[in-house]
Amino acid sequence: MGVVSVFSPTRTIAGLAVGAMLLTGCGSSLDESSGSKAEGGKSGGAVKIGLLVPLSGVYAPIGEDLRAGFQLYLDQHDGKLGGREVDLKTADEGEGPQTGVPAAQKLVTQDQVSAVAGVVNSATALGLRDFFDESKKPLLIANAGADDITGARKSQYVWRTSFSNGDVSAALGPAVAEEVKGKVYLIAADYAAGKEMVAGFRKTFEAAGGKVAGEKYTPFGKTQDFQPYLSAIRKSGADAVFAFYAGAEAVNFVKQYKQFGLSGKTSLYGTGFLTEGGALAAQGTAAVGVKTSLHYSTELDSASNKKFVDAYQNAAKKPPTVYAVQGYDTAAVLDKALAEASGDSGDALVKALAKVGSIDSPRGAWKFDSDQNAEQQFYLREVKSSGGTAVNSVVGELD
Amino acid sequence: MATHLVSVLNGLAMGSLLFAIALGLSLVFGMMDVLNLAHGAVYLVGAYVAVALVSDGAGVAAFVLAVLAAAAAGAVLGALLAALTRATTHHLDQALLTLGVALVVAEALSLAFGNDVHSIAAPEPVGGGVTVLGETYPVYRLLVIGFGVVLAVAVYVLVERSPLGSVIRATVADRAMVAALGINTGRVLVGVFAAGAALAAVGGVLAGPILGAQPGLDEKVLLLALVVVVIGGLGSVRGALLGAVLIGQVQALGTALLPEYASFLVFGAMALVLLLRPAGLLPARTGVHA
Repeated sequence: MGVVSVFSPTRTIAGLAVGAMLLTGCGSSLDESSGSKAEGGKSGGAVKIGLLVPLSGVYAPIGEDLRAGFQLYLDQHDGKLGGREVDLKTADEGEGPQTGVPAAQKLVTQDQVSAVAGVVNSATALGLRDFFDESKKPLLIANAGADDITGARKSQYVWRTSFSNGDVSAALGPAVAEEVKGKVYLIAADYAAGKEMVAGFRKTFEAAGGKVAGEKYTPFGKTQDFQPYLSAIRKSGADAVFAFYAGAEAVNFVKQYKQFGLSGKTSLYGTGFLTEGGALAAQGTAAVGVKTSLHYSTELDSASNKKFVDAYQNAAKKPPTVYAVQGYDTAAVLDKALAEASGDSGDALVKALAKVGSIDSPRGAWKFDSDQNAEQQFYLREVKSSGGTAVNSVVGELD
Repeated sequence: MATHLVSVLNGLAMGSLLFAIALGLSLVFGMMDVLNLAHGAVYLVGAYVAVALVSDGAGVAAFVLAVLAAAAAGAVLGALLAALTRATTHHLDQALLTLGVALVVAEALSLAFGNDVHSIAAPEPVGGGVTVLGETYPVYRLLVIGFGVVLAVAVYVLVERSPLGSVIRATVADRAMVAALGINTGRVLVGVFAAGAALAAVGGVLAGPILGAQPGLDEKVLLLALVVVVIGGLGSVRGALLGAVLIGQVQALGTALLPEYASFLVFGAMALVLLLRPAGLLPARTGVHA
């Protein structure tokens, strides 16, 4: 036995280590929600709408908020959109295109929905573009931020009620250039969204006379300890940092930013996802002082937002997030479009979408621009501690 | 230079945690020939025990309570896994069985605690930072390094210098021979399995203030622990320690020096070790001297 028996288990374990590496890549593709009664056909003027949001995997918290927002709008309107009863079909988007694309195809071909709303992951959104373009069904993107979705790869059937990555960060550039006298260090997760966020910021920031101290991308989804990067920031002598992270990475980055003593000396800026929803709750007071740009905050001082926050808090038992508002607004857009549309065909709906005009939303009024992307006001927010809980208070509007 | 020394310090803190987590995995595989893919899930149970018991601004007492509760939960889970895996001796069957347990545990945790990210506060007295080499460094991480040193010494004394340790080592080397001497190896195996799982769960609590708790963390931790075991050599305490310290340094120092290759460094190190020393750096001594 000896030598041989020592060798073979090592190979086994090494092989399994590689296997586990691959396994972590594929999320659960088994989830299928909603009892599918198959067979299309209209029953008493009801309209079938597909909701494609992640209910499993790392994006599940975003998916839950989107769905809760969408559902709240339905509940407030007696389960009707455009005066018609809604038969809502929900499908799990999962973590990426390998689960999201088949789920969307099932909604359209098997459940025969008139339109699909949702989509958190940008790769899924881009992967679905051709399918919806060819099947001539409207796809309402309620989160995915890739610039290309309403840019280079836009389609007349794809409409976005949320934001594009570059717009959110570009809004912050001039404000940081004005507030920070010295250089700014740029850091983001190493994937398409991170690159787009940094590029958008850098463009307007440098145009406004800002100076960049350094630019770094950290392995996406693999970085738990930011100490080496935080040391590099300190060494660069930067006076401020612009960061893009979301979810678990946002929590670790912001907490460690404080633990390693940078928060007092080097002010931290970012796009709003850095301090939104569950991430902010986990960061707690470690996030106080972080300034971000986003198209929504629970603290927006408007009557429609106050009403929305109360209603959402009642229904979901937690404060709303930007994702909840995006879900809510997507339902509002569908409400207007369905009321306007002459029939259920994709082309009739797309024509109606072009005419919905201004949407009165908790985030403030917004409308679709010529690229079918949301044209909206961005706000400068600062995390403040209010009675022990951290909130994104609104400092001002960004041009 | 000072920046890199802080990275070295940080690597030691991560290494201490990895040692606590990987030790059980290594001993169980070395002794029982069981590859426990539920090890990461046990870690995550520990992390969520801390989420449940340690609130923001909690004192040392709550934290110690969380460590004890996690150890108990881990030991129970470990004993259960030991019983389950005795049903089969095939590696693939065991891997699938424990992977199934891991998925069930992870899903149960996500149902109980939701899918949101949770963070765990370091106990109040050590929540701040001290200045090390001109940079602020969290006190808590220094304590984690201290814990790693204490754990390494304690495990060394237990395994290498105590009568119980000699039984454990003998079981790793030749289970049949130990059984022939009249020792109930089944009980030794369950005990080691339970102790290893308890350590992983404690690792979950201790890593809480650094890594937090969220769905999916179990897979990341399991992967790192597997790499540590492969590098260190199976069934060896010293191997697990060397592997953990090495991976801690590769992660911290490697990321500081070669940021572009950060995500490849750990697996590059593993590949290198497999090429040069396929049995790991310090494999357990077997009955037949190799």
